[in-house]
Amino acid sequence: MRQHDQPAGRGVAAEAVLAVAPVAGASVSTLGGFLSPETIDASDDTIARVDELQFDLGEGPCWDAVTTGRPVLEPDLRGRPGRVWPAFSRAIAESDDVAALFAIPLQVGPVRIGAIDMYDVRPGALAEADLLRTIALAAELSRTVLRQVIEENGLGEAPLAARPRSRRRIHQATGFVIAQLDVSAADAELLIQARAFAEGRTMAEIADDILTKRRRFTVQGGEFEEER
Amino acid sequence: MSETSRETGLLDAFATLADTLVADYDVVEMLQVLVDTCREVLDVTAVGLLLADPDTGVLDLVASTSEESRIVETLQLGAEAGPCVDCFRDGRAVLVPDIDATDGRWPDFHAAAASQGFKGVFAMPMRLRNQTIGALNLFRAAVGDLNARDLRAAQALADVATIGILHERSFRANDVLRDQLQGALNSRVTIEQAKGVLAHRHQVDMDEAFRMLRGYARSNRVPLAAAARGVVERRLRL
Repeated sequence: MRQHDQPAGRGVAAEAVLAVAPVAGASVSTLGGFLSPETIDASDDTIARVDELQFDLGEGPCWDAVTTGRPVLEPDLRGRPGRVWPAFSRAIAESDDVAALFAIPLQVGPVRIGAIDMYDVRPGALAEADLLRTIALAAELSRTVLRQVIEENGLGEAPLAARPRSRRRIHQATGFVIAQLDVSAADAELLIQARAFAEGRTMAEIADDILTKRRRFTVQGGEFEEER
Repeated sequence: MSETSRETGLLDAFATLADTLVADYDVVEMLQVLVDTCREVLDVTAVGLLLADPDTGVLDLVASTSEESRIVETLQLGAEAGPCVDCFRDGRAVLVPDIDATDGRWPDFHAAAASQGFKGVFAMPMRLRNQTIGALNLFRAAVGDLNARDLRAAQALADVATIGILHERSFRANDVLRDQLQGALNSRVTIEQAKGVLAHRHQVDMDEAFRMLRGYARSNRVPLAAAARGVVERRLRL
């Protein structure tokens, strides 16, 4: 599962989760919104399989975490499930090494980009301090993962825009996004870049959509939608 | 404008520019004073100042008399293929009294200038000894030469600004020059972002957003770039 020749994120993200949370295994994946479901890093085959199952079935804790923007905690998945997913719950019942399952959303500002999945072999709740540490780590991982997905697709190396006048528009649009979402300039720019990546367009084109108020990021869930 | 008021305007301008050249002066504000002064005392309608990125050599607009996007675009087109980049490359003034007579030499620039009603353009190098760091562009709404005195005044203003940027006393250190240039260009990035924040928050155009930012910086005696940083980092709410 590890791919050691990959840059930061892959090969280290799951390890980072294990360093803050006492669980048997962890994975970091992109899903929901505009990124296709993909496991970026997994500490073992079990959690990689849990991810795959959820991606295939289109349901499970990681999907709910991304949809709601809140952690999904199942300390006793098979014995006393908090919620039941029609297909996923049935499938996971056959896997006796996953007793507890936790999913933490990854988001940059309000824009959701994926989830951390963690499992344990015995039932048991995650201590509050461990949960808080994992949520703090998720904030950092979100940027790393998003930046990496963009870079791996060859967009990161390109300059912001070749022409100064396009750059100026991108900086102004960055200001719009700062005001819309109350995020840092670096995050705002990253979100414009991610949007460009997702739509196969340039940052300058996305910037124009934002500046001409055709589209905006929403505070709820960070969707990038048409303005009415 | 009468002779006397023109002379007074110029003298004031030099005094203001000299004032800005004290320790920790605000480069972007100094350049803004320069372009505003040019428009006030010279027979021109719009003025833009472009500096070259020390790494890429690409010219970027750092100060202009209007932040209106069509005018900004015209200025920048002149910096891609137009009189501005020629002036910068050759380190010499490029005088175009009649843009329509340029025979398709710079088609994009020509079209943009025509749409803004600009008939003539005069580009002055920002140069000290053998080093050119940018160009000052003056636009006129009428065909015809800029008179010799205005040309000399424009070049003098450009020279003062150049010295201001190069900071005469540390001129020999190449990396200081690089830092100064990069600092001015980076400040502009933050200013554009701050304009975006204000334009969105107050539903105003970029020109008005810039006026708000500058007004705040002036009345609170803080550098323009510092005010912009405050807005972008959400510490300062305008």
